[in-house]
Amino acid sequence: MILDLHAHSIKSDDGRAKVQNYCQWITTRNVPIDGFVLTEHRQFDFESDYSELAQKFNLTILKGAEVETEYGHVLVFGVTKPLTEEFDFSNITLKLADVVAAANKHGAVAVPCHPGRVRVGMSAHIEEHGVPEGVHIVETFNGGSRGNEDDIAQTMADKLSYQGIGGSDAHIVSHIGRCATRFSAVINSELELVAALKSGEFEALTFKEDAA
Amino acid sequence: MSAPLDVEALKEEFLFKVFDEKTFSFSGQALADYAIACGETASRYTDPADADFQAPPTIATSLQPGQRMPKGFPKVAGLGMDAGKAVSPKAPIRPDVELLGKSHMQDIYTKTGRSGRMVFFVIRMEVFDPSGTEVASADTSVVIREKPSV
Repeated sequence: MILDLHAHSIKSDDGRAKVQNYCQWITTRNVPIDGFVLTEHRQFDFESDYSELAQKFNLTILKGAEVETEYGHVLVFGVTKPLTEEFDFSNITLKLADVVAAANKHGAVAVPCHPGRVRVGMSAHIEEHGVPEGVHIVETFNGGSRGNEDDIAQTMADKLSYQGIGGSDAHIVSHIGRCATRFSAVINSELELVAALKSGEFEALTFKEDAA
Repeated sequence: MSAPLDVEALKEEFLFKVFDEKTFSFSGQALADYAIACGETASRYTDPADADFQAPPTIATSLQPGQRMPKGFPKVAGLGMDAGKAVSPKAPIRPDVELLGKSHMQDIYTKTGRSGRMVFFVIRMEVFDPSGTEVASADTSVVIREKPSV
């Protein structure tokens, strides 16, 4: 099963894509993914229910979040109400250690994203802050990466023995599915996604050259 | 280099306080000209003789307050850019009706990106007809890219 683990809808301040339009694009363009995770910026979207869309388009549509720490941006999968009460998702000066600890406490997974990106990627902050504790997975393929940012991410992941995921970081419809993650498990819920990530049975994929 | 903005203090001082009121009124022909310039083709927007003639929903985004920022709002160091507009139409806007636009700071928030910290200011104009009915609101976002510290 292939999921794009990093996408933004109009629920994010800079997102320009409606979820329905992502579904239509995936279907009409035969984008080779089975679903996607909406990781809205600095928030968790409790109010949206995409189950009807998921059923209509036969896609898995899950929700996560993208928060901001001193190591850059971090995806959080398996967000629950108690987890959102552990720290302020809108705070752009979160401590990665606090995010990781809260995620572990509430059965979620924290994954630094676009780690090769300047200023908002983990690699750029390791020299200053050291190698963080508790990180096991990073996003090695990001659809919004420029230049060698994905190479930097992969090199860091290899050096620190991190596993890699892929996500498009789509903010507009045509970018959905540019990068994704293949799982050996079937995933239909956030709980199953967390379990699959913890199992280690996945690999990062990029379709950027196909899309170019 | 100037110190980073204290966003929480700004929010405390400026959010949700009306800082500008301005009236607007448009003739039917002016609304039709606007609609045609926007590429509208529906006669309710382009033909003042249409029984349901009204302004296109986007018109609220073109209304400009007399004063763009609240009095006393600090000058912000950094590169300022338009960060987009959002309109919420709520009732038809008819020609030759005096509209009252009230502006306030709706939100101030920050995010980080490749270029460093960015501060967003969201100014909302709520537009009312003479009966006091809100006919639309329009958000104008401005982003300031603060100079990176590294």
